[in-house]
Amino acid sequence: MRPEVRALEEAMAREGYIADDAIATALLLADELRKPLLVEGDAGVGKTEIAKVLSRLKGTELIRLQCYEGLDVSTALYEWNYPRQMLRVRMAEREGLEPGQMEQAVFGRGYLLERPLLRAICRREGPAVLLIDEVDRADEAFEAFLLEVLSDFQVTIPELGTIRAEHVPHVVLTSNCTREIGDALRRRCLYLHLDHPSLEKEVAILRTRVPGATAALAEEIGRFLRALRQRRLMRRPGVAESIDWAQALVRLHADHLDPATVRSTLGCIVKDRRDQHDLDEEELARLVALAASPEALAS
Amino acid sequence: MNRDLVVHLARFAGALREAGVRVSVDDEVDGLRALRRSDLGDPDDVRLALRCTFKIRPRDERTFEALFERLWWGRGRAPPPAARLRGRGVGHPLGPRRNGEAAEAGGRERNIPEGEEPGSSREALLRRKSFDDCDDRDLPDMERLMVRLAERLATRRSRRLRPVEGRGRADPRRSLRRALATLGEVILLARRERPIETPRLVVLCDTSGSMDGQGRFLLAFVRALARVAKRTEVFAFNTELVRITPWLRGQAGQGLSGLSEAVPDWSGGTRIGESLDAFVARHLQELVDSRTVVVVFSDGLEQGDPELLADALRRIRARARRVIWLNPLLGDPRYEPTARGMAAALPFVDRLAPAHDLESLERLVPHLSL
Repeated sequence: MRPEVRALEEAMAREGYIADDAIATALLLADELRKPLLVEGDAGVGKTEIAKVLSRLKGTELIRLQCYEGLDVSTALYEWNYPRQMLRVRMAEREGLEPGQMEQAVFGRGYLLERPLLRAICRREGPAVLLIDEVDRADEAFEAFLLEVLSDFQVTIPELGTIRAEHVPHVVLTSNCTREIGDALRRRCLYLHLDHPSLEKEVAILRTRVPGATAALAEEIGRFLRALRQRRLMRRPGVAESIDWAQALVRLHADHLDPATVRSTLGCIVKDRRDQHDLDEEELARLVALAASPEALAS
Repeated sequence: MNRDLVVHLARFAGALREAGVRVSVDDEVDGLRALRRSDLGDPDDVRLALRCTFKIRPRDERTFEALFERLWWGRGRAPPPAARLRGRGVGHPLGPRRNGEAAEAGGRERNIPEGEEPGSSREALLRRKSFDDCDDRDLPDMERLMVRLAERLATRRSRRLRPVEGRGRADPRRSLRRALATLGEVILLARRERPIETPRLVVLCDTSGSMDGQGRFLLAFVRALARVAKRTEVFAFNTELVRITPWLRGQAGQGLSGLSEAVPDWSGGTRIGESLDAFVARHLQELVDSRTVVVVFSDGLEQGDPELLADALRRIRARARRVIWLNPLLGDPRYEPTARGMAAALPFVDRLAPAHDLESLERLVPHLSL
């Protein structure tokens, strides 16, 4: 492995993110090739966290755009500050300005409200990290617009003209795969698919993120979740959930898993009524037994 | 740059494309740029760099790994022929993904309770008469009823705002622009509104022998729907796929018999998987987007490869708003979807519904909306 990849992994570990070679390589290449990185995977596997860690490593601002259906330019890019414009127009009237001059006065940078995309482009203090979260939730019209921004890093505002990026931001896009991302957008990016972590990695994550958890407890939790994820679930718990769970267990002073404790804290990891119902006493006891014995899962 | 590396990479990308993994030339350029920075002696380094730049998705991972192992390092072992197929067909949870409910619909939606369509007793009879028992004399009456049904196709409001005249919410941006002309005095408030969106329907209709009786009634229904949802597309398939959309615009009553001559092998056997696969290859990109509801009308009695059917449906579902499978056999309470084709299709279908009489089509209408 390249020494840079190792170095990045270690740096990320210092920031509390346990990355494997695939993650570190993808981040490094995205940085070196100056391309956006598209991260796909189930909810809670740590997609968003990648951008947060990246911003801490770069010592720069994290600008986040949360996507949803119907997201449009005025929420993502810019909006005019209408009340201020209105007041200015009133003042201009008293000054006796011509309509043309008035227009010039009102459509200036000072009356522009920067939304995340514009802020990422206009940032003067060096490149920001731009996180475009859950891009699969936005609709195709927005995707097409995003394409334009991500390929040239410039935007055109009719009243102002074209604004070019001072520094090209580091872009991370995430998707939960609820919808196929268009080919055009995909082509612009580098790609990383994040899976649920391996047992070793999950235990390492738990030990880093929940310092109160003993090694034994972290391993039991890791094995329990691994066994749980192999079941047919409506919603598979991610790492975010196992961290929550570990924190809950530490609060309850539990140093190992037993069926009663698991039952009372099940809401931390199983967040679907049907799934909870399917996990009856017998099944829980089986999973707890699996979690307690290191060999059982190795086979 | 190292010429051998360029050739090697191009060959490798070519092999991936041949195996069905989409790798674009841009990806190859990125791949080269990435490799230039990688440790070419380290298999893992090269593998991860290529996976990232070639955008290898989970479903293509096996193919990639097998080809990488075989071609990049020239190590013998050929990949198992079924490697690619086995990697598919899992992972999609059952149930609808989006809840674009009819409740959101405004404007043209009418509040007629389900199953309460007023009409003569003959109509009431017709509504529950199984298509199997209907003959061509019933068709004109049926068609009239279907047109009324189709008008209920609920439409929803877009989530985006468009400028409108008259009623609507205030649009500050355009209002201000107008006000500038009148020295800042807002005389006329500009307004905007969420326009009504009608869904696009794509109907894939099985016209094989086992479906002959119901097929013509469904097609009549589709024709009625097409009057509301203007962008409806219809395909007939049995062993081949034929686009019959032009027929939709024809005269009512005419055509059903002419149609069966235009479609080869009408009333023959079924190759659902191959037909849907042909649809995916030729029309999916162009006709199906996230506002499209795809309706497959078939009994699922597949003579071809169920694996192919599952894969085609998975691809359709990834793009479409919703996939609905209409199965006339469902009208029989004893029926269970165990036919090979049906069982393979089930994980990729948002809704499996009967379509053996008019009443079942009536219940379907809300699900065709966005």
